[in-house]
Amino acid sequence: MKGKEESSHQVLATDAPHRLRTDDDPKEDTLDREQRLQRHRRPLLIVPAALLLAGCAPDGVTEQGRDIQGLYNFFLIAAAVVFLLVTGLLIWSVIRYRRRGEELPPQIHGNNKLELTWTILPAILVVVLFIATIQTQNRVTALSDQPAVTIDVLGFQWQWQFNYSGPDGTPGPKVLPQSQDDIPTLRVPEDETIRFRLSSSDVTHSFFVPKALFKRMAVPGRTSEFDMTFDTAGRYPGNCTQYCGLLHDRMVFNVEVMPKAEFDTWYDSEQARAAGAGA
Amino acid sequence: MAITEVERQAPPPDHHPHHREGVVDWITTTDHKKIGILYLFTSFTVFLLGGLLALAVRAELAEPGLQFLTENTYNQVFTMHGTLMIFLFAGQVSTGLANYFVPLQLGAADVAFPRLNAMSYWLYLLGVLMVLSSFLTANGAPAIGWTAYPPLSTAQFTQGPGVDLWILGLAMVGAASIAGAVNLVATIFAGRMPGMTMFRMPLFCWTILVMQLLILFAFPALTAALAMLFLERQFGAGFFNPAQGGSPVLYQHIFWFFGHPEVYIIILPIFGVISEVIPVFSRKPLFGYRAMVFAVFAIAALSFSVWAHHMFVTGAVNLPWFSIMSLLIGVPTGVKIFNWLGTMWRGSIHFTTSMLMAMGFLVVFLIGGITGIFLASPPIDFLVNDTYYVVAHFHYVMVGGLLFGLYAGLYFWFPKMFGRMLSEGWGKVQFWLMFVGFNLTFFPQFFLGLDGMPRRIADYGDFLGWDLWNRLSTAGALLTGISTLPFLWNVYRTFRKGQRAPDDPWGGFSLEWATTSPPPHHNFEELPQIRSERPVFDLRHGDHEAAHTDPERNPDRG
Repeated sequence: MKGKEESSHQVLATDAPHRLRTDDDPKEDTLDREQRLQRHRRPLLIVPAALLLAGCAPDGVTEQGRDIQGLYNFFLIAAAVVFLLVTGLLIWSVIRYRRRGEELPPQIHGNNKLELTWTILPAILVVVLFIATIQTQNRVTALSDQPAVTIDVLGFQWQWQFNYSGPDGTPGPKVLPQSQDDIPTLRVPEDETIRFRLSSSDVTHSFFVPKALFKRMAVPGRTSEFDMTFDTAGRYPGNCTQYCGLLHDRMVFNVEVMPKAEFDTWYDSEQARAAGAGA
Repeated sequence: MAITEVERQAPPPDHHPHHREGVVDWITTTDHKKIGILYLFTSFTVFLLGGLLALAVRAELAEPGLQFLTENTYNQVFTMHGTLMIFLFAGQVSTGLANYFVPLQLGAADVAFPRLNAMSYWLYLLGVLMVLSSFLTANGAPAIGWTAYPPLSTAQFTQGPGVDLWILGLAMVGAASIAGAVNLVATIFAGRMPGMTMFRMPLFCWTILVMQLLILFAFPALTAALAMLFLERQFGAGFFNPAQGGSPVLYQHIFWFFGHPEVYIIILPIFGVISEVIPVFSRKPLFGYRAMVFAVFAIAALSFSVWAHHMFVTGAVNLPWFSIMSLLIGVPTGVKIFNWLGTMWRGSIHFTTSMLMAMGFLVVFLIGGITGIFLASPPIDFLVNDTYYVVAHFHYVMVGGLLFGLYAGLYFWFPKMFGRMLSEGWGKVQFWLMFVGFNLTFFPQFFLGLDGMPRRIADYGDFLGWDLWNRLSTAGALLTGISTLPFLWNVYRTFRKGQRAPDDPWGGFSLEWATTSPPPHHNFEELPQIRSERPVFDLRHGDHEAAHTDPERNPDRG
């Protein structure tokens, strides 16, 4: 029985897009007035829908980033509901209660029940948002016991340096740009937990990878630690977001997420090169 | 009621022994109305300068590459834009309105300390000139951002006297604000006329009271931050230098302990203006007057326990505490918005320019407030902090909220201040240009921020796909800039040939409408009886109101 049910569901699921497609054509000329009007209204709905979509968080390429993305979109739904409710009430009042005569409207000074309602409901909403926040926050800021790679990120006016070390603390490659125009690349392995240790040697900077939906401020005299687990290979821009003086806009870097094997090859060849240069 | 009425002396007769005229009169005046106008004029001039700097920023960002400015001038321009707008315009313009209208709304002849009041204004002007004079120094204006975070703002990284002039000028403005706050708080507590109990004060007076209390608590922190920064620059004090045992994070704590209440110092008086404008043009009393008063106090109290939400990404602050406190501010703010809607509900709404501006305020402030809820969540802040999302958010609150509310107040009170009516036609042209321009400028910036565009950058790569939104934003900024012209023209033509204003052109509720437009030197020839929070309304509709008052809601009514 159970198996049969499942298979019938599957048929429905694969059928659905097909049914949707056939829905339109034969009924084209039988559309009644109301439906035709609705078609004309569609562009009007597209604008707010597009705005809402554009207002979504970007797709994350880290585990932690996707967690933040989910939280953001949850907030966005709550925000859209509140916005529509309030602007709806506002537009209704503006249209319905325009001045039409000189008669004085009823002089209402308030309504305790209503006022209590619109104090308590927002308070509940805020607590719900807080609970969601705490859950995501604990996952995003959690530090793994055994990161595969540790990268010391040093920010300075107006460049980045990346110093790698292995799980047992043995020093690895160092990526140091040679000039201001060099754009350094932060190479990281896919599907591994990476520990970042962030610091600055001059003014405050901020290490930001938009596609990881995460940034952390690099404060002189402090080392800040966080983990990221990239799970989508590719090349992503990163930049400094804390204003840090003249060339703040040019303090950029790239993140290159590589399959583990490829990363290991790069890591070892850099190690060998450094050893060769040293000898 | 716990508040007792104390018999007070009638306003003193108009003794004006040395009658002066022209410039000398404006320089030597201690009349709160003239000082109010001086504050409004000075801060509006600062606003126009800050606006020109904003247009320079938007022009540069319209396309990738550096077209008009170098990185150095760009950094100076955005620093001075923020400084002028936040410290020298937004925080001061309401003091102008308060100076003019608080004594009038209380039925008083002047503020408590008229000479101190004059001193506040002239200190403020001196501070403005000092900050502006930094443009004339060898290294130009400071390029440290309006928040001036060390170590960047210390002598090691930013040389020249520009930053020092900036620090001393702002300290001067801070001192002026504190003196002004003492004055207005004393006026509100001690200057009310017989019958004007605390709970019969117009909401504008309540918001000014709370704003000034916030100044008294928050500005000393700014003064401390500025003094420490000055000592650090001049004598290497080491407060913010890790090598000397200090910490850059310390500055951020002190600065934002001032900085977040500052947001409410700026926006609370606007809440007051909106709470005057909406009831008058809806011909209804403010819905939930007491809840509105308590909401203002709740916002003010919470504003001192949220400062570190500006520092979530430092990794050096307690995240849950500052998150829940920041989220909670949404509750009293929501109460205010719903009570304004409740005031309009079943009202008889007259769409003057002032009322349109108030509606514009509600929409943009709603968007600013809602996006503020996002920023109160640390994980979301990890994404959008220091990006254009934050820029869009605080411009929705500051520019949108403040500006629409301020114009609502200016169109509402201009006839009282100058005895002439501004043109409604030009006012509506201004409103629509501004509403479209404003949203076109700042809404795209939410998308830019989500896409990772950092704030305070002079240039961005053309491969990042930020061109379209930036171009729209710049077009919007131009439109917003242009929207100022109908206002300036409106003011000019009104002074030339504007229609004479009656004493009470709008059917107002509070005492300023019980005197002439403009009021005489000592404000009132005679005062109506004050038996509710709407004495002038009672005077006009006495019988109607008596018949329709629900005694349970209004225990104050005699």
